[in-house]
Amino acid sequence: MNLLALSLFQHALLVTFVLLFLGSVWAMVKGWAGRREGPIWAAVWLAAGVAVLWPQVTSRVAKTLGIGRGADLVFYCAVVIMLIGFWSIYIRLRRVRRDITLLVRHLALQEGEKEATRKNDTPGMANTSGQSAHSQTDTAKPE
Amino acid sequence: MTREGKMEPSEPPTEVREQAFVIVPAYNEAACIEQVLRELVTVYPNVIVIDDASTDDTCAIAKRGAPYVLRHLINRGQGAALQTGIEFALRRGARYVVTFDADGQHRVEDIAGLLAPICANECEITLGSRFLGETIEMPLTRRIMLRLAVLFTRIVSRVPLTDAHNGLRAFSRRAAKRIRISMDRMAHASEIIDSIRRSGLPFREVPVQIRYTAYSLAKGQSLRDAVRVVSHYLLGRVVR
Repeated sequence: MNLLALSLFQHALLVTFVLLFLGSVWAMVKGWAGRREGPIWAAVWLAAGVAVLWPQVTSRVAKTLGIGRGADLVFYCAVVIMLIGFWSIYIRLRRVRRDITLLVRHLALQEGEKEATRKNDTPGMANTSGQSAHSQTDTAKPE
Repeated sequence: MTREGKMEPSEPPTEVREQAFVIVPAYNEAACIEQVLRELVTVYPNVIVIDDASTDDTCAIAKRGAPYVLRHLINRGQGAALQTGIEFALRRGARYVVTFDADGQHRVEDIAGLLAPICANECEITLGSRFLGETIEMPLTRRIMLRLAVLFTRIVSRVPLTDAHNGLRAFSRRAAKRIRISMDRMAHASEIIDSIRRSGLPFREVPVQIRYTAYSLAKGQSLRDAVRVVSHYLLGRVVR
């Protein structure tokens, strides 16, 4: 295969896929990607690179799968990969939302406890001393 | 607008009233919450308002009328506000937890009817039902939508209720501890029913009256909201 025979478009795609592949390998090495996610994405970018370098491979695979044209196979794969990507982003978004709720709740409870303790302590504050002010902050902890 | 119903239960004993914490989740209810709180605190000393990051004066008004006001810094929805209130009530030693809407559609008198079976150890959870009770000025579209919600609950949650989305509920301390609301927005109503079924704790529906006013109707759920709620709920059951 002659790399010079490739079109400008193929070159651009190839560079993109090589970078993405290296990125996913790097993420695996660094431990940023999950045990399952990392290899899957690396394989996806590798397959995409192969499809750019040897387009006839996609046709052969497509024929074996009964799809017909290689371009259709690539299209279907792209759609499926995109859907998986959207789904995983959606799940992550839900998790982030839940975390925000937990954080907001924690702050609200903390503030509420402080306020309630302050109110409850007010009548007993007749013997105002440094010690009683101290015990007030100690009881601000949740029961 | 209030019409005294025939199912008027007596006021609960003082110790029950003192051990009951009424949770009022509120989002932009400045127009109505003052009156709601005034009625509530005269009977129940422990009222917790959870201001869900309202953009109006709800928080300031609530602070004048309720002994406890918690504030969500970011709007997280009614389900999240209820869970915050339940956790706070449990921390303050609540023996009974009541949830009450801030828009003035519930009657304070009905709380007694909800607490009575729990105090008598007949059940652990009571759910208000507008279809067992009397409903004042419920529009036809709302009636149809609520009936569909009941049907949905019967099919999906497999719990035979007459009213699936009533904000007036009461829990014993044990039951309140078991309830975990993770769905932030309105899908929590179905989620609560699911967790009641899972908990295996005995529950009962109690007739309550709902006052439909122009205000509460405007604050209520539209058909489009209902579709969104159903999709949130179903997705929430799939994705944990």
